[in-house]
Amino acid sequence: MSRASHVPRFRVPRALAAPSVVFLLVFAAYPLVYLIGLAFTSSTLAQPLRRWTGFDNFHSALESQSFSGSLWRSVVFAVAAACVQLVLGTALALLLRARAARPGLLGTVLLLPLVTPPVMVGVAWKLLLAPVGGALNGALHEFGLPGVNPLGGSTGAFVTLIVIDSWQWTPFVMLLAYAALLGVPDELREAAALDGAGRVRTLRSVVLPYIEPTLLSVLTLKLVIGFKVFDIVYVVTAGGPGFSTTTSTYDIQRTALQEFDVGSAAAATVLFSLIIGLVVSVVALRRKRHEEVAV
Amino acid sequence: MSAAGIGARRRRRAGLTVLLGLIALATVVPVLYVVSLSLRSRDDVLNGGLLPSRVFWRNWPDAFGAIDLGRYMANSWTVAAGSVVLTLLIAVPGAYFTARAGRSGGRLAALVLSSYSAPPVVAILPLFFLLRNLQLNNTVAGLALVDGLANVPVAIWLLDGFVRRVPREIEEAAWLDGLGAWAGLRRIVLPLIAPGVAAAALICFFLSYNEFLFALSFAQDSTAQTLPVALSLFQGDKNVEFGQQAVVSLVGIAPVYVLAVAAQRWLVAGLSSGAVK
Repeated sequence: MSRASHVPRFRVPRALAAPSVVFLLVFAAYPLVYLIGLAFTSSTLAQPLRRWTGFDNFHSALESQSFSGSLWRSVVFAVAAACVQLVLGTALALLLRARAARPGLLGTVLLLPLVTPPVMVGVAWKLLLAPVGGALNGALHEFGLPGVNPLGGSTGAFVTLIVIDSWQWTPFVMLLAYAALLGVPDELREAAALDGAGRVRTLRSVVLPYIEPTLLSVLTLKLVIGFKVFDIVYVVTAGGPGFSTTTSTYDIQRTALQEFDVGSAAAATVLFSLIIGLVVSVVALRRKRHEEVAV
Repeated sequence: MSAAGIGARRRRRAGLTVLLGLIALATVVPVLYVVSLSLRSRDDVLNGGLLPSRVFWRNWPDAFGAIDLGRYMANSWTVAAGSVVLTLLIAVPGAYFTARAGRSGGRLAALVLSSYSAPPVVAILPLFFLLRNLQLNNTVAGLALVDGLANVPVAIWLLDGFVRRVPREIEEAAWLDGLGAWAGLRRIVLPLIAPGVAAAALICFFLSYNEFLFALSFAQDSTAQTLPVALSLFQGDKNVEFGQQAVVSLVGIAPVYVLAVAAQRWLVAGLSSGAVK
């Protein structure tokens, strides 16, 4: 502050924040208020907010077999996908960093899944796994092995969706972890080597702790993104077999815009948001505690 | 370093290159398979095998004949480009504010980022009614508006890091020379964060181009539907047209791959700026 005392002190014009405030009003405040309104009233797509119905919509959302189960499945999906991708992405970043200080062409190829439109990702995998004419069974057949249908059973379909999601999102973790690894000072590694630490020991006690704040941010971000999964569910399994891959976003979209049950979809959205807030704040709290210890 | 040490290091590097090369190859298998499918007849696909036994070009004209692919491509590109303009108009001044306005900047950043943690499905019903009241439902402009707003938190998150790395001293020197805060932003900061703006534009373009939930919910027919929606409807048909589906997928994938490889440097710099602040 004292350094700048002779400089004319400009306040950053508040007008610069105005577009962002409008964004918040239109895209956060209005949807939230309107959604809560929809959740407590009876509505149709033609006529929203017809009359107050109390908690009726919440009852019908929770009684819907597809929705109550979908909450649990969304949590499992988001947490499992985030953990798998964090481990794989960090491992890839370590390999990439050990090879060179620039990601190079290899890095670009490894990033391609991230920019592939998710609907196309879903279709590609669906074709790959098709029981008849798919590449997987074609390859198994070549080796004289019996064919499989990973999308035929409940567990198989759920795990397959996590695999597909990880194909798409592991590069995201890889890139952010790689960027963090570039920030690890060489002196730190060298000091560890001088102290006689082997490669594994250096990794565990120097490198990973150094990039841990980044990894925790990425984990939080990936959890948030995982809860949004919709595209690949819609394309690959359509929520089935049964309801085994019906995640909340998928269920809510279907209830709202295919079954036109607006009130119940709104109530379901409110409940879903509460669950997300709960899970994400658990991780965020852990991150905060971690930062306090580190300081 | 000893010659033996250098040799060992080279061997290790070569080993890593081979290993990562194999992983990269495995990564692109699903997309390569789609390329192979686009060049095979239905019978050839059902006979199994990974590669075309005979190259079959007909899928390409057939796919363009089956649906109005040109229309969907135009919709996808217009929505993505339009949304990027809107996002940047909001996010560039916004990021300058979050990075430079001290405590109120921090508050704005916290609000904007927390809005990102709500799932987009929250906004579907309210935005559906909003678009209808504005008579923007089932229009390319409506989708560009929604996508443009949806990407604001991502853009502010990315740009904030770039603004923070501009040394304050440069701006202060400009203020001493009599430049106002607005002119300082436009003439000093904006040129310096241009790579960041390019990166944010690129990433937001990808996000809009790939977006599906809003496009599916707000576009009812081909006047506004984008490529992902077209593909999702196309594959709903009972008869699985492997080859034509593959063609539609590739028409959607190819431009983003070209863009990603061409602008690799910006993409990497942009994404990593958010992580390492």
